[in-house]
Amino acid sequence: MTPSTEAAGPPAPSRADLPPRADQAATLVARNQLSPDAQLLRFESEGPLRVLPGQFAMVRVGGGGLLRRPYSYCDLLDDGAFTLLVKEVGVGTRALMNLPVGGEVSSLGPLGTTFDLPPPDLTPVIVAGGVGIAPFVLFCRRLAQSGRRGIVLLGGRRRPDLYLWDAFERFGMDVRVASEDGSAGHHGLVTALLDAALADAGRPFLYSCGPTGMLLRVAELATAAGVPHQVSIERRMGCGMGCCLGCVVWARPPSGGPEEYLRSCTEGPVFDAETIAWDRDPHPL
Amino acid sequence: MAEEKSATLDMGVEVAGLRLPTPLIAASGTFGYGDEYREVADYECIGAISVKGLYLEPREGCPPPRIWETPSGMLNAIGLQEVGIRRFLAEKLPAVRELGKIVIANICGSSLEEYGELAKILDQAEGVSAIEVNISCPNVAEGGIEFGCDPDMAARATEVVRRGTRLPVIPKLSPSASDMAAVARRVAEAGADAVSLINTIPAMAVDVETRRPRLANVVGGLSGPAVRPIAVRMVWEVARGSRLPVIGMGGIANAEDALEFLLVGAAAVQIGTMNFVDPGVWRRTFDGLAAYCRRHEVAALRDLTGTMRSGTAG
Ligand SMILES: Cc1cc2nc3c(=O)[nH]c(=O)nc-3n(C[C@H](O)[C@H](O)[C@H](O)COP(=O)(O)OP(=O)(O)OC[C@H]3O[C@@H](n4cnc5c(N)ncnc54)[C@H](O)[C@@H]3O)c2cc1C
Ligand SMILES: Cc1cc2nc3c(=O)[nH]c(=O)nc-3n(C[C@H](O)[C@H](O)[C@H](O)COP(=O)(O)O)c2cc1C
Ligand code: FES
Repeated sequence: MTPSTEAAGPPAPSRADLPPRADQAATLVARNQLSPDAQLLRFESEGPLRVLPGQFAMVRVGGGGLLRRPYSYCDLLDDGAFTLLVKEVGVGTRALMNLPVGGEVSSLGPLGTTFDLPPPDLTPVIVAGGVGIAPFVLFCRRLAQSGRRGIVLLGGRRRPDLYLWDAFERFGMDVRVASEDGSAGHHGLVTALLDAALADAGRPFLYSCGPTGMLLRVAELATAAGVPHQVSIERRMGCGMGCCLGCVVWARPPSGGPEEYLRSCTEGPVFDAETIAWDRDPHPL
Repeated sequence: MAEEKSATLDMGVEVAGLRLPTPLIAASGTFGYGDEYREVADYECIGAISVKGLYLEPREGCPPPRIWETPSGMLNAIGLQEVGIRRFLAEKLPAVRELGKIVIANICGSSLEEYGELAKILDQAEGVSAIEVNISCPNVAEGGIEFGCDPDMAARATEVVRRGTRLPVIPKLSPSASDMAAVARRVAEAGADAVSLINTIPAMAVDVETRRPRLANVVGGLSGPAVRPIAVRMVWEVARGSRLPVIGMGGIANAEDALEFLLVGAAAVQIGTMNFVDPGVWRRTFDGLAAYCRRHEVAALRDLTGTMRSGTAG
């Protein structure tokens, strides 16, 4: 492996470079049951929508609790439709998964920071687990559109949890999978595939999203190997707009300066992994 | 449009010497430093913005988890993470001033001296129209709620702020005080121009599977529709029991909710948690209030304050 010696990737875009935000009605037009507890939902929003990979929406759905819930945009389709990959964990996710086709939600977005395309000489290596897979569909679509290829490592408990495996293959990615029960690919954790992937990539640029344990392990390996690494962090969110301060992560601000609690909805959810104080902030949701 | 409507219907209110074009104020701690929602909220419907609570120095706040949803409400223990008064004035205030909104600075101190010092600094600042004195935050170790529960302490905090500034002074009362009207009377004597209420109600939730508290701080403050009937009762008590104008808040989601507060005696209202849920709340509430005034043939919205009738609804 020849890790990059460059400190990090392209600078994070400032708010001014990010697409405009709006609170729009969106209609559910199709549902695809991916596993017993996960669905891919396709929505059409009432107005135009521009989204960069890694950004998320705060979605409000009838019967889904008081506060909106954050979901990564999974994919953005040419006709302005978008998809969400949703896994059932509680009242909000359940309400989305029970929404009849034709039903409406209100969707506030796009919010937060983005996964940046890697510099031309680096190969993207993506590590995703569970619904952390979601943001990488749009990311790989953009990679493919700019003629780039990369390695995608997917992890889950069982084969059905390796969501949208085929979508990544359609974008020309080198997909490698791991399942904890051995029903697909490597028997064990997805991070076991990382060393080989980094070696195959030559000069890798890492991207990760998924359970905290997975992110920690990827961050450790990336730091040890000196590989640049962007990570998307999931926190409970009250507003998604930078105002409740409920979603914070202890990290170094992008502008430099000492560590402080940064808002994962605004300074994140995508962070340069090396700016996060993992030891101080491995916290439970 | 706010202007068009004002030709026939006056939606303006006056409270603590402030002339607000609409009775709706963004509640402290739920609207950042004021410009965060500019792309999605209808600022035309917002009469003033109370910014995130300020201390002299920046504060790191409580560790996460800081929020938890409860039935029709939310708990928060943010612990007043904030940038400090100097960075607020240098970096945050210019952006919100550009929006042309009336800015209310919300201050908190860990000592009486700190309240006084903040008042003096704000008095010199251009673009701050009033000071809301948070003597009711449930999530900080010292100051905050301690001041708000004891009428003497509340009066002393109000007094030091009053001495430090010519700006209108609006103590924000704690729902934990045993007699809020008594606190209101004391802060009135100490020079307050109005009071605002309620701040969040100390509350907690437990994850029974892990047997751990939902919030790292264990206790947080409850806000949202869950607290509204309590808040309405408190505004009623304070409005009846003191001569100070009252700014009411607690779970307001629409015009009908806002009207409850106005009818029991509030001169203006604040909206917090429900703006998170739906930034369209400003437009909807404003339009609903205007429609109510027309339906009830009220020419000026301010005439509704304190007009609850006796007897019960039929
Ligand atoms: C930036 C971001 C992107 C996300 N993208 C997706 C996505 O693409 N697909 C998807 O299915 N989920 C995603 N999530 C997680 C999703 O927001 C939560 O699963 C959802 O809020 C839970 O709501 P609920 O009402 O179903 O569960 P609740 O009843 O609120 O909680 C049930 C359980 O979920 C946990 N939880 C609550 N909020 C969050 C949260 N924000 N993140 C993670 N767990 C949470 C709680 O701690 C609890 O254990 C994302 C979260 C963030 C912050
Ligand atoms: C996340 C959050 C942060 C808050 N921060 C402050 C604060 O800094 N200062 C303050 O005076 N009140 C603060 N509050 C209280 C609100 O201003 C308001 O009094 C309370 O939430 C009740 O109104 P609501 O139900 O409309 O939210 C905060 C409330 C929430 C939910
Ligand atoms: S979710 Fe409210 S500040 Fe991030």
